[in-house]
Amino acid sequence: MKLPAARLCLLPAAVLILLLFIAPLLIVCAYSLLSRGAYGGVGLPRSAESYTRLFDPLYASIFARSFAVAAISTALCLLLGFPLALFISRSGRRKNLYLALVILPFWTSFLVRTYAWMFLLRDTGLLNTLLLSLGIIREPLPLLYNYGAVILGLVYGYLPFMVLPIYATIERIDRSVIEAAADLGAKPWTTLTQIVVPLSAPGIAAGSVLVFIPCLGAYLTPDLLGGGKTILVGNLIQNQFTTARDWPFGSAVSLLLMALVMVLLLLIARRNQEGLL
Amino acid sequence: MKRALSLYAAAVYLFLHLPLAVLAVFSFNSSRFTVWEGFSLRWYEALFRDPHLAEAALNSLIIAFTATAAATVIGTLCAYGLWKQKTGILPGFIKSSLYLSLVTPEIVMGVSLLAFYQWVFRFLDVQLGMHTVVLAHVMFSIAYLVVVALARLRTLDPSLEEAALDLGATEWVAFRKVTLPQLMPGVAAAALLAFTISIDDYVITSLVAGVDSETLPMVIYAMARRGGSPLVNAVSTLIVVILGVMIVASERLQGHS
Amino acid sequence: MNRRTFFLGLSGLAGCSRHSRPRLNIFNWSNYVAERTIPDFEREFGVSVRYAVYESNEEMMARVLSGNSGWDIVFPSNYYIQPMAKLGLLAPLRHALLPNLSHLDPAFQRPSWDPELRWCVPYMWGSSGILYHTRLQPPPESWSDLWDERLRGRLTMLDDPAEVLGACLKKLGYSLNSHSEHELRRAQAEALKQKHLLRAYLNAEVREQMVAGDLSASQLWATTSQQAIDESPELRYVYPSEGFALYADNAAILRESRRQELAHQFLNYLLRPEVAATVVAETRTATANAKARLLLPEADRSNETLYPSQETLARGEWFEPMPPSIQRLRDRLWTEIKSA
Repeated sequence: MKLPAARLCLLPAAVLILLLFIAPLLIVCAYSLLSRGAYGGVGLPRSAESYTRLFDPLYASIFARSFAVAAISTALCLLLGFPLALFISRSGRRKNLYLALVILPFWTSFLVRTYAWMFLLRDTGLLNTLLLSLGIIREPLPLLYNYGAVILGLVYGYLPFMVLPIYATIERIDRSVIEAAADLGAKPWTTLTQIVVPLSAPGIAAGSVLVFIPCLGAYLTPDLLGGGKTILVGNLIQNQFTTARDWPFGSAVSLLLMALVMVLLLLIARRNQEGLL
Repeated sequence: MKRALSLYAAAVYLFLHLPLAVLAVFSFNSSRFTVWEGFSLRWYEALFRDPHLAEAALNSLIIAFTATAAATVIGTLCAYGLWKQKTGILPGFIKSSLYLSLVTPEIVMGVSLLAFYQWVFRFLDVQLGMHTVVLAHVMFSIAYLVVVALARLRTLDPSLEEAALDLGATEWVAFRKVTLPQLMPGVAAAALLAFTISIDDYVITSLVAGVDSETLPMVIYAMARRGGSPLVNAVSTLIVVILGVMIVASERLQGHS
Repeated sequence: MNRRTFFLGLSGLAGCSRHSRPRLNIFNWSNYVAERTIPDFEREFGVSVRYAVYESNEEMMARVLSGNSGWDIVFPSNYYIQPMAKLGLLAPLRHALLPNLSHLDPAFQRPSWDPELRWCVPYMWGSSGILYHTRLQPPPESWSDLWDERLRGRLTMLDDPAEVLGACLKKLGYSLNSHSEHELRRAQAEALKQKHLLRAYLNAEVREQMVAGDLSASQLWATTSQQAIDESPELRYVYPSEGFALYADNAAILRESRRQELAHQFLNYLLRPEVAATVVAETRTATANAKARLLLPEADRSNETLYPSQETLARGEWFEPMPPSIQRLRDRLWTEIKSA
């Protein structure tokens, strides 16, 4: 007799999801099977053309590039985020302050953060000016408008999504387990790799997914920091819905992207028994 | 190792705050370009004379508060329900839908919501506005909430709640007195995340916003596209300072009580 | 103050902004009205105006496509007028309510995109040419000068398929509205040849970088260039010798508008020579209003960057809307350029 209450808890979420997610998504599915209207929008006849167009090396290469960029950004986020989460969880009374310091920059607009990097990286930006005046370089370095800048922007943009879930799981690790390991003579590094990291695996998995997905769909960062010289899946989709006004094809690309990520997630979920949800 | 960790963390904090610190410094630049020409408060004066910005900021706050509150309640309940009832049609449906919502690119979610609203509005005399934005924000933040809250719940011991039930507590009391307090740090972290996402969202918001629901990111985007007016720097500096003061103040208050 | 009163306060504040006066919602390009244009209209007609800005036609389209966005007036570019009219988004204009239409330049009384002005009133116009820094010697005169190794890393093109392919087509001596696959493919090859020289594909953001001296040359709109020139005396704008793109932004009333009369009054107000002259004098744009141009100071009126001579103008070509198949081909070519 414990089920009805649980079901009641699920009800509001179920209604919300059905109305504001599943129904809109079905509309996108329907769009992907229609033709492009003469002036944008969608129209009849029904056709699977949007899907056949996807079998094209051009789009395969765009997908591959996007996955690579998102994977590198996620790895870098983990590299920066895990030690930070560990540091925060060990900082006693100051915990909340340090946590707030992670989140604070992210209450300014994403665009502002991106522009802040443009400020730093451009030819007449702070970094180049500094290096020039120190005599380290003679010509400004082309720091902006390349893949490096895009990845930097993505890491900067999504780092808290990595830190917060990892922090939440590290916090839950029983102190006595760590103390016991120390008592038994484990070195701090051993404790970290043998106990803390495995126990925070759910947080690491959650954080990685929370970073990977938005990186994969990003289109503002590649545009602004990449200078529009590269095209990632996010830009491809965005172009279809704006300049090209080809909603059916945009819908088909979006659905393919979602399908690929779902497959990836299922693979992770199989290895990591608990999964995310 | 502790020292190394602190140093590393300091470096990461520098990485997080340096770009914004530079922006803040340049918000006091009298030139509108990135060349330093001297200290000036002209951008802050311009800021306070701009009713447009103030209204957008207010809109952003209202939307973020409302959406976060609603999403936190719905999301926490949902995470709890999923934790209690792991199998079945409803949990299965919710889990796979939330997975899906996580992997949906923002632009797709925005466009699909827009298409959906359009379809609904055929039957109702409603326009896009604050309500459509809030609904969209609740929807896209709920998956994040459930993920974080559930990660927290996973680390809890279910036998505690069972013990409470065995001792005669009702399910509601057991949830409120035993599980919820343990869950709270997770919920707080999740709500913070939802608030951050909501107040920052541009892509979805710009698609489902109407005339009266222009948010701060939308105004900033428009300004930034024009070449990064120092007004943007001034707004961001102001936001960071205000929020920073609020956080430090709440820290102090908690410390004293 | 507890949380509840805080929320009540917030919603109360939000409520305050809802005036009881009739309200007009205007969605315009950024930097397209003078500081006093809107307040003056509000005072004179006893209404309140909600005024917001956008940076691209696509952005505006995404907002109004739903047909219940709440906006009354938008300012689409010439090649968006027919598509928007065919989608049923625009309301037909009532010329009886627009007596000031007579002030328009004769060329804009019968524009190719809307010969009878059924859907729109031409407002501003301009061209896409080359903005360059005077340290660049000899100065560029044609599109083909932008394929020069000395510009490597100091050059940008606009982030827009129509503009980039348009410049390449012009370089090859074709029409920028070409429907021919062969011509478009050759244009794409040109764009690919140029890509390694480019700093980036950028739009309005480029202005600041040109002024700061990051860049030597950019494909840019005349009005944005004029603003950059006003900031830095070392910048010049040139109309490329092979030909260049012309565009016009037009005021149009949305079909969904529930305040058609008031919307017409605003359009008529914008057409007043004094009003239009104030706008262009302050925003450094080019007006479609002949009477307004006469009111400008001589230096502005004969400013070649904004108002090219008849001889220069003859090399210009207006953008046109593309049929779906050509649009799709162009989009694919553009995706290939970006992806290379």
